[in-house]
Amino acid sequence: MSADDGADVTLGSLALGARIGDGGQGEVYDVAGPGRLLYKGYREPGKADGGELAALVALRQGLAPADRERLDREAAWPLCRVVDGGRATGFLMRRAPDSMTWRTSRGEARLTDLSYLLRPPRPAWQAVAQPSPAERFALVVAVLGLFRWLHALGLVVGDVSHANVLWTVRPAPAPYLLDCDGVRMAGRPPVLEQADTPDWHDPLAAAGVATVDSDRYKAALVAGRVLSQDAYVTPGGPLRPLSGVLDDRRADAVRDLWEEASGPRGTRPHLAQWCTALAGRDTIRLMAAEPAPRPVVDRSKFDGPRTRGRITLRK
Amino acid sequence: MQILPFYLLCDESGSMIGEPIDAINGALPDLHHEISTNPTVADKTRFCLIGFSDTATVLQPLVDLSDIDSVPALAAGGLTSYGDAFRTLLRCVEADVAVLKAEGHEVYRPVVFFLSDGIPTDPDWDQAYKEVTQSRFCPKIIAFGIGEAQESTIARVANFRAFMQKDSSVSPAQALREFASSLTRSIVRSAGSIGEDGGNGFTLAVDDTVPGFSLVSLDKL
Repeated sequence: MSADDGADVTLGSLALGARIGDGGQGEVYDVAGPGRLLYKGYREPGKADGGELAALVALRQGLAPADRERLDREAAWPLCRVVDGGRATGFLMRRAPDSMTWRTSRGEARLTDLSYLLRPPRPAWQAVAQPSPAERFALVVAVLGLFRWLHALGLVVGDVSHANVLWTVRPAPAPYLLDCDGVRMAGRPPVLEQADTPDWHDPLAAAGVATVDSDRYKAALVAGRVLSQDAYVTPGGPLRPLSGVLDDRRADAVRDLWEEASGPRGTRPHLAQWCTALAGRDTIRLMAAEPAPRPVVDRSKFDGPRTRGRITLRK
Repeated sequence: MQILPFYLLCDESGSMIGEPIDAINGALPDLHHEISTNPTVADKTRFCLIGFSDTATVLQPLVDLSDIDSVPALAAGGLTSYGDAFRTLLRCVEADVAVLKAEGHEVYRPVVFFLSDGIPTDPDWDQAYKEVTQSRFCPKIIAFGIGEAQESTIARVANFRAFMQKDSSVSPAQALREFASSLTRSIVRSAGSIGEDGGNGFTLAVDDTVPGFSLVSLDKL
């Protein structure tokens, strides 16, 4: 089956069910059959870069089994392209885990995205089980760990936002990344024009440009906003983590990184630094090695009196 | 934060008795459900409900919809005073903007969804209307006409977009459910384009077509 081997499938061969989502760039449909698959169809397939989409599919196929398993567990990654008349119209992906949806008072299913972690709970969404401080902390560690791993794979996440990261604390804290066709290989163009979410843009990045640097800024937004339950706080402003989420050592380390994240591109903390700060480890400031001291030269050994004679050039 | 206030200015005159008023009252929980379960939208928008007949009544003062769990129902009876509707609207907008600003928010130009099923029974209503449109915070008005409403009047009320119920193709109650859905979509989509930093403002998203309604030209001569 192509969702497994990554080969293209034709649009005509899919038994599409109900439309379950409607994003800016595409619509998401149920796909009948095994595997709980979804089809994301592009509103304007002509604008999608089929080659880059194929590269994302190939990247997953090229992963070692354990890594592929992790990718499938933590991201709605493009499993294979869907084509129609030789043109990519979208892709198949897995449905988010049931533990990452919640039901409204009317029984409608909604995705449990980060927005429910970023403000005090309201009656209208009381069915969203709120994390304990320890679980909130574990969620931040898990999300940043996922971004760190994606960066290590040479990827840029791009549109990091409250809407694109799902979470659960049942049975254990875990994240799930959506809209993975917005992820790109570092240095390569995106599948579609880069989308940005209001309140989640890097102020120092040009509109529509995503880089490892802008990812680092947005990762700081995720960390700071989830830890402080504040949907709008940005680096440069004070960070007030919820009580009980961080111990003193971690709180100090996180505040330092939060401050640095407001810096110019190239100076923002990378994901490994966040993971270290959250792990509660001290960091040791390393000095570049000093040049070895030169041995003292005993000039007396070299500077004896010179007697310069003359060389006769005529024989 | 940037806040976009929405006002629903709804006719509850005697001619709305029965299915029409029930349709609107039945649609308000849907609107509330949609907005209040979406924290990002609820954060950035506020909602106010004004009913008008002989006089206008602020049924629900401007509120974050996730803060309430009930709302006074519309109850039909009486005549159709557009004038009092607009006077009440203007009073609310001026007070609400001041309060939001005092809370430290920046406020976008308010959006009014106006709905009427009849012709105004107060001849001097356009003076009150003029005061609204000439006020500092002149709202964007989207007007919907059903039943006996006159297209020319609905077009005069609107300054952004106007819709008239299509003859007999749908019942007033069906048209009103579509009206409420259109209002909900407008709130969700408009809120989705508001950036917290406000650098680029936002785009007021209003349907170009609403099932059961036809778009009215606002090219006034």
